[in-house]
Amino acid sequence: FGTVRADPLLPVEVTADTLSVNQSNGSADFLGNVLIIQGAMRLSADTVHVVYKVDDTNQQTGIESLQAKGNVILVNGPDAAEAQQANYSIDTGTIVLNGDVLLTQGASTLTSNQLVVNLTSGTAEMSGRVKTILVPGKN
Amino acid sequence: CGFTPVYAPGGTGEALFNQIEVVAPEKIKTRNTVAAFALVRALEERLGRGGSTYALDLTLSQRSEGQAITAENEITRFSIEGRSDYTLTRRSDGVIVASGTVNNFTGYSATGSTVETLAGERDAEQRLMVILADQIVTRLLSTDLTAAPTE
Amino acid sequence: QTLPAPLANQTQSQPAILVADKVFVTPERQLIATGNVEVFQGDVRLKAQEISFDNSSGQLKITGPIRLDEGQETTILADAAELDNNLQNGILSSARLVFQEQVQLAALQMTRVNGRYTQLYKTAVTSCDVCDDGRPPLWQIRAERVIHDEEERQLYLENAHLHVRNVRVFYLPALRLPDPTLDRASGFLVPSLRTTSNLGTGVRVPYFFKIGDHKDLTVTPYISPRTRSLELRYRQAFRTGEISLNGAYTRDDLQPDDDRGFFFADGRFRVLQDYNLAFQVRTVSDDAYIADYSLPDVDRLRSQITLDRTRRDRLFAGSLIHYKTLRDSEDQNLIPSIIADLSYEQRWHPSWRNGEFSAAFRSHSHRRISDANATLTDPMGRDVARLNVDLNWQESWRLPFGVIGSWQLGAAVDHVRLSDDDLFGVNSTRITPRSALTFRLPTTRRERSGATQYFEPILQLGWTDVSGDDVPNEESNFVEFDQGNLLSLSRFPSTDAREDGASLVYGFNWARIAPQGWQASATVGQVFRQEANSDFTKSSGLSGTSSDLLLAGQLQFANGTALTMRGLLNGSLNFSKAEVRGNWHNDKARITGSYLWLGTDPDENRSDATSELWFNGGYQLTGNWRTQANLRYDISDGRATRAGLGFAYQNECVTVDLSVNRRYTSTTSVEPSTDFGFTIALNGFSAKSDSKNYRRSCSNT
Repeated sequence: FGTVRADPLLPVEVTADTLSVNQSNGSADFLGNVLIIQGAMRLSADTVHVVYKVDDTNQQTGIESLQAKGNVILVNGPDAAEAQQANYSIDTGTIVLNGDVLLTQGASTLTSNQLVVNLTSGTAEMSGRVKTILVPGKN
Repeated sequence: CGFTPVYAPGGTGEALFNQIEVVAPEKIKTRNTVAAFALVRALEERLGRGGSTYALDLTLSQRSEGQAITAENEITRFSIEGRSDYTLTRRSDGVIVASGTVNNFTGYSATGSTVETLAGERDAEQRLMVILADQIVTRLLSTDLTAAPTE
Repeated sequence: QTLPAPLANQTQSQPAILVADKVFVTPERQLIATGNVEVFQGDVRLKAQEISFDNSSGQLKITGPIRLDEGQETTILADAAELDNNLQNGILSSARLVFQEQVQLAALQMTRVNGRYTQLYKTAVTSCDVCDDGRPPLWQIRAERVIHDEEERQLYLENAHLHVRNVRVFYLPALRLPDPTLDRASGFLVPSLRTTSNLGTGVRVPYFFKIGDHKDLTVTPYISPRTRSLELRYRQAFRTGEISLNGAYTRDDLQPDDDRGFFFADGRFRVLQDYNLAFQVRTVSDDAYIADYSLPDVDRLRSQITLDRTRRDRLFAGSLIHYKTLRDSEDQNLIPSIIADLSYEQRWHPSWRNGEFSAAFRSHSHRRISDANATLTDPMGRDVARLNVDLNWQESWRLPFGVIGSWQLGAAVDHVRLSDDDLFGVNSTRITPRSALTFRLPTTRRERSGATQYFEPILQLGWTDVSGDDVPNEESNFVEFDQGNLLSLSRFPSTDAREDGASLVYGFNWARIAPQGWQASATVGQVFRQEANSDFTKSSGLSGTSSDLLLAGQLQFANGTALTMRGLLNGSLNFSKAEVRGNWHNDKARITGSYLWLGTDPDENRSDATSELWFNGGYQLTGNWRTQANLRYDISDGRATRAGLGFAYQNECVTVDLSVNRRYTSTTSVEPSTDFGFTIALNGFSAKSDSKNYRRSCSNT
């Protein structure tokens, strides 16, 4: 997330073992090694709950947010992050991962309780017992 | 008048006689090995030897000091202060049955010739060891062994 | 502050670990950690408010109150810093370097260079507590620049000024101090001022040379208007022993045209696996030197070499002693100056009988330089050599009613060879069989209070029969009588005199032993003899057919008081000898003292009684002030022989010692003298020796 930005407006492709749709509130649940691809970014998890934006005529006009749970792995260019769960809200372009977060940036790795990635500005903010190895020099 | 012999049946003396192994003199940390030998010998004379039920461990330290210094700066008497810490441990369960510190002093004249003062010094040290040993034996025989906790 | 040298390179490669509440990763790959940020690297730990770590340059920019701990020894506090990622190099601003929470160096700026050197600019060095009320510490050394060498553990100060409060006292262009974590380093020790009535006011400035880890040499010049003296001390530790040599070379005005001095040597070694070899050399250039230069109080110089080994049942002890007398009343040629002793003792315990057989072989000889023949009253140049063999059987039985009986049967053979003497035979032999029967009845009584009373009557019937040639009594003219030889069959200190005939001894031992509260013990004893022994002097308490009554006892109270007393009560109900020793202490004060009374005794050339009081006490006035005093006072002569007074002020950063000692005695070559000692030591730079802590708190100084 350092140098590589991602574009939250790109189309989101979701593949999963099974899909169950909940018409009443316009949300869908992808279950079983779900893989979400958006541009260069990949998000995989055991389950993903997708909330769609609904206009006043109850028509789905796009994805509002994705809530991934279980072995969440987010890969974006050279950086990768693991966590127990992640919450990707498309409009703000931010992904909030929490639960044993492990972020690897090239050679250095960081662990913490929570990681907030801002795809538009390309920054990452970790908080809650952040721990990292300061590996010297070229990486 | 309430005094019961310690060597009567059931007394402390009975329970301790020939049951204590006094620490070997070379194991006592002291600069004066001759005194350590005399202390252990005096204790074994009173407590018996070769016992395995109890172990008696000792420290020994002594200090000499000039006294009765005349106007002509002659030291006419010396006294030796001795001190010994002792611990009686029951071997079966390692419980410390009795422990404490005894101290006392003996003196010798230094007005005589060098050999007289030297003989006095060596005799004073031997007497001091007998006194310390007797004080330790008195305290051991006064210990109420029944009070010592037995698991 | 960088890592201690040995650690430095080893942990070079070890990456630093960063822990924080929040880490913000910027697009330019910079980590900005905030909130309780800590970095660990080897045993270095850094705490700060915020750290930003630039991956590419590996530089750490640190802000907020910084605390960098290194092992437990040194700590650095700073406001801001820029360090490389293994915290080796970099700059800290307004930093404070603290050694062992004691010595602190405050500097405007501190730079660390390749893990070994730390440079501090405009530094104040002190070990006193700095209170934040703005008052300057008691003392501080301000220096333009201070370089701390991590490997050598030395502090090099440039343009250093010593300030007391804010008064500039002392200027040194360059100063080297060992850093407090260093145990042994060459350098000056604390100088001391010494004023004595004989030598005037002089100063002693010791310099310590560290020669490797096991050897050191201390050179101490002592200069005063009336003496130039160079004292040397060399010490060396071996795997199996140690030696210590002390000496001095002196030219002074007391004996202007003589070279004066002393040489003392001490050594102890373990040889042949378990033999102890020890030697002691005491030589002095002239009799007055010891008193003039306040060396240890001896009136005879005893040089000796001893070898001994002990086992539970075997004792070997050999000694060779040389005496040099400093007493006016003694002539070096007429005193026994060379004394050789050898003794071997062994004990056997047969399995078939509950008893002990012991044998002792002793040889002794002493030589007087003069060859003049002995006369009736004066040994003159007599030389003595003797051999003793002592065999002994001893067993004990438990008799009815709790009585312990013990029986002893033994014999001693003495063979004596004399020279320079025609009063006694050249060779003489004596045989002394002996036997004794001793009964003891130790009893106890438990009190309700948990205390135990112990009471033990003792009875002994003894018999010895000395037969053979007469032998000169050279060593056993002064006999002591106490609980230690109440039951022995020959109470003479050596074997050249022996008790003869039948004797009966009765005694009582009593004690009160309590876990808490007061404790006491007492011994009473007396010896009755078939015929009096003329070798016993009047004040020995053993003359006549019934000895003085031996009274001895101890008292201990819960409040820390302890008294030990012993006396010999003679027939006319006054003491021929009495001594009381006591000490008392609580958390603020301690006092030890002794009183000695020796009755008149022409044989011990004591025309009037000796009555001497000795006292030594210490008192903690306030948290930092301590006084101590000692006095030795001869009551019968109504004059003091030694007196001393001392004041010491000690806080966490300075120790001031003031002592006065007066020696009243005088000999033909030495007058009474007073000795003032004064030292000031800046704490924190010498090895920490004092366990107690005198740290002042900011409020009350």
